[in-house]
Amino acid sequence: MSEEKDLDKIKQAVKRRKKEVYTPVVPETQLGFIHHNVDCIGCRACEIACKDKNGLAPGPRFRRVMYIEGGTFPEVYAYKVNMSCNHCAEPACLPTCPTGAIYKRKKDGIVDIDSSLCIGCRRCEAACPYGAPQFIPEQNIVSKCNMCVDEIDAGRKPYCVMACMMRVLDIGPIDKLAAGQYETKAMAPGEQPVRAVKNLADPELTKPSIVFVPHSKGKVE
Amino acid sequence: MTVELDLNVLLDRINPGRRDFLKATAAGAGALAAGGLVNLSAVREAKAFAYEPYPRDDELTTVVTSCAHNCGSRHMLVAHKKGDVIVRLSTDDGRYQEGGHFGKDTLEEPQLRACLRGRAYRQRLYSAERLLYPMVRVGKRGEGKFKRVSWDEALDYVARKMIAIKNQYGSTALLDQSYAGASYGVLHKSDQIEGLLGRFMGMFGCRTNSWSVPSYQGTTTSSRWTFGTIEDGNEDDTYAHSKLMIMWGWNPAYTFHGGNTFYYMRKAKQNGCKFVLIDPQYTDSAAAYDAWWIPIKPNTDAAMMAGMAHYIFTNNLQDQAFIDKFCLGMDAGTMPEWTAHSPNGKENFKDYILGTYDGVPKTPEWAAGICGVKAEDIKKLAHMYATTKPAALKASWAPGRAHFGEQYNRMAAALQAMTGNIGVLGGCAEGVGKAWHAEAVAYPYDQYANLWFASIKSDRWAHCVLNYPNVKREEIGLWPRQDKLDGVIPNIKGIFWQGSDWFNQLTNINKEIQAIEKMELVVCMDSTITPSGLFADVLFPIASHFERHDVALPWYKGHYYIHRPKVIQPLGESKTDFQVFTELAYRIGHLTGIGDHFGKSYNPKAGRNYFNYDDDVDEAYLREWWETKVMAHQHVTMSWDDFKKHGVYKFKLDQPHVAFREQIEQGKPFATPSGKIEILSSELAVVDDWTRTRYGSHIPSIPKWIEPTEYLDSPIAKKYPFHLISPHPRWRTHSIFNNCAWLRETYEQEVTLNASDAAKLGIKTGDTVEIWNDRGGVVVPAYVTERVHPGVLVLHEGAWMDRDAEGWDRAGNPDFLTDDAPSPAGAFAYNNAQVRIRKTDKAHRPGWDQLATSRSHVFRRDN
Repeated sequence: MSEEKDLDKIKQAVKRRKKEVYTPVVPETQLGFIHHNVDCIGCRACEIACKDKNGLAPGPRFRRVMYIEGGTFPEVYAYKVNMSCNHCAEPACLPTCPTGAIYKRKKDGIVDIDSSLCIGCRRCEAACPYGAPQFIPEQNIVSKCNMCVDEIDAGRKPYCVMACMMRVLDIGPIDKLAAGQYETKAMAPGEQPVRAVKNLADPELTKPSIVFVPHSKGKVE
Repeated sequence: MTVELDLNVLLDRINPGRRDFLKATAAGAGALAAGGLVNLSAVREAKAFAYEPYPRDDELTTVVTSCAHNCGSRHMLVAHKKGDVIVRLSTDDGRYQEGGHFGKDTLEEPQLRACLRGRAYRQRLYSAERLLYPMVRVGKRGEGKFKRVSWDEALDYVARKMIAIKNQYGSTALLDQSYAGASYGVLHKSDQIEGLLGRFMGMFGCRTNSWSVPSYQGTTTSSRWTFGTIEDGNEDDTYAHSKLMIMWGWNPAYTFHGGNTFYYMRKAKQNGCKFVLIDPQYTDSAAAYDAWWIPIKPNTDAAMMAGMAHYIFTNNLQDQAFIDKFCLGMDAGTMPEWTAHSPNGKENFKDYILGTYDGVPKTPEWAAGICGVKAEDIKKLAHMYATTKPAALKASWAPGRAHFGEQYNRMAAALQAMTGNIGVLGGCAEGVGKAWHAEAVAYPYDQYANLWFASIKSDRWAHCVLNYPNVKREEIGLWPRQDKLDGVIPNIKGIFWQGSDWFNQLTNINKEIQAIEKMELVVCMDSTITPSGLFADVLFPIASHFERHDVALPWYKGHYYIHRPKVIQPLGESKTDFQVFTELAYRIGHLTGIGDHFGKSYNPKAGRNYFNYDDDVDEAYLREWWETKVMAHQHVTMSWDDFKKHGVYKFKLDQPHVAFREQIEQGKPFATPSGKIEILSSELAVVDDWTRTRYGSHIPSIPKWIEPTEYLDSPIAKKYPFHLISPHPRWRTHSIFNNCAWLRETYEQEVTLNASDAAKLGIKTGDTVEIWNDRGGVVVPAYVTERVHPGVLVLHEGAWMDRDAEGWDRAGNPDFLTDDAPSPAGAFAYNNAQVRIRKTDKAHRPGWDQLATSRSHVFRRDN
């Protein structure tokens, strides 16, 4: 039987290894999403706009509107949580990539995968707690939301945001969004966004760049 | 796209010593504009991003157009094309309208953002199901075996067959089953009344018309009786002024009648409006607007409303001044004298509600026993509605799609009137809900338009065919005529489908399958193969709306026009409907010895070369329409050329459009015979022989609760204990888009049932079940939820039928179960079908690889 492990030593080693592999890029401005969980009618126009924009075949879904429902007849409730890639401050996918295909943009913090480098190992898919990376079998690569960088660079907003019929999905500088200081139609006057809602991974894992206006049943204590 | 790995680049990446790639990704970053994202002057990064090579929007040709399918709204689509191929679609972002800029989205001129169906259009346009060449049937009817033929052969066959059928069977032998499916535009239009087919067949002199509208005939008839018009709708933006919004069977999260209805309702919510939903389902609309959900037994809505009326009358909460001034037959005081001697108009509404005539007061307790809603809730809602001003009771179409569905709509109109919520901002008189009179017709609309020699209830064609000649006029709702054709039962021998998948969409499909065997000519004109098309003899490939020139408009709400240029050239050999009818007219003319006369009269601006070149003629029709109708009648000053340049024209109204504002504020008479809101219908009051009306059987002159043939408490419920309703899906428009893989990912054709019912039957979400009654059976997966009334099954209409050898529909089309006997006023009985359900070993056939596409269940969570 081996000796007792020195837990502190292990922690140090993990920390060191992490640091050697990846130091998170600190963007000049981190862009992120805001989504109103209640006012969203769940139409998924954003999903289809995304599929069309990115030319995706059936299967991979960069953006996913989750339907959450509960209660007992007739006292029921339902709300939606809408998510693509959260362009995390500490993306779990990035350090898993063996080819360096995943990168985070310095200027706006968008996390993207260079498809010319991806070898389709799918490690990022396993690492992401939000299910953002999507495997594309026809090309044997993993792809995901890049917040429509082409549109962002042209001074516009991504296709999903511009598709939203209810204007409940928007992007903005995430710190301002989180503080409720960014003017957006996604939330009504007096509403306060939160960083976490039920049924989602703990935001402390990767510090996702997304905030929500939650449903009363979706609030996390 | 193929992936070519550049080894040098790869080595750079995996060996950080060679180069710092992170630095490269950040190079050349354009600074963000202060406080915002939109900085059009930003320097474009030189760095390739993930999906290079990838054409950016600004490198593609951008063309403004719209969606075009049979929903009530119409939204902008912006085609980004490379050469003659549309590579992606975006939507209104504020840039295209006059004075617009990116991001402009005001409440006066909101963006016209397309829904998921519109965004999926490329999959419909370039689908494997696309029809590219004329085809004729070679197998048995319905077997789906066709061969490709030339246009010349196909057109000649149809022209000769039409002539032969007319000569042998007379002027009613061809049935017009055109509908609004493929072509909602001002020029290339398919429609029951205003369509190109109706005028073509009318001029040919052989046409049986289908008069009842599947979606809303009960509602239409009710609105015409009550208000004298179907233009009883307010414009979308008025919703933002309501203090209370009662959504009766209405799910604006799924179905659209205006460009931004749901969005203005969000504004109402932010303004403090309270929402109520009366519906067997807790819909996404209820969730989004945080509504008080009142689950109700299907097809009992009129009873609940009668209970509300009783509470309002007995507590004296009605707006008596409004009633006295504007209503006919609401109470004894508003009864005209002549009705005392009429055959059918002796009763007034209030006395009916109080039980004066039948000794049964329609109390909330009485209503509770029928509709399953607690009397306390009925009273509470009635009190809220009568005391909150202004309040909108939006009586949607769905509860009216049932036996005596018109009674529900009329009862709603009575509630709207007795609370004085008609003609006021924030109130509502809908009903049908048409909110403006658009200039909707750019093709020749003259004495030949909608010319018919017989007109029947649309869902009675199979009954008529199967029982001919032993059919009574009242069985098929034969529309009266003033000539010798009155009462003549049509001998239907041929069917035309233009922009219509009616064979898949009308009620009681098994009966239709028997009837179609008796047809000698079935022609289907569509851009894709459809389940109807599989039963056709001839398939004409029709150019989609991206491939022809037109202007789009919403039916009902949203004051705007969207230009729809020929974005790409027609695919394959497809032609427009207008081209096909024009060429058929020339051919028929030559075969019958009248030469060019028919063709020239049908399409006066065109010559015979129109079949091969339509651009100039279509442009001429549209320009004339814009200049002589839109500009002349609607105070539009923008020229046709400017309109084409912008691609969209949004009206700015001086004040929110409210139906009947003039009647209430200025005393203009309503368009009814009495000039009043007719709670008692003058038209119905004088009828004594119902068989000679298009209704066929008795209808009371005032709104009443009438027990329907099938609902949860009818005798048939002992054998078939579940009530099946078939609402409109979100992921299709009726049957349109059922073949689009992107949309399939968002749903499954599945039956929704309550968790307590499912527990008793041993059914879990994902189990395959069979649902059946005497009319037919279907096989679908089950979705178990708390969000639906016990005893109710929900199966969305429009799935493409797929029958097995035993006749079970494995795709799950509810119209194998629905009844083809309509309501007297014409309402289709889509929402009353009693059925049974059980687990099955039969396989569901969704029409595609389920594992590869449908994943909606994955995202459902409990608690």
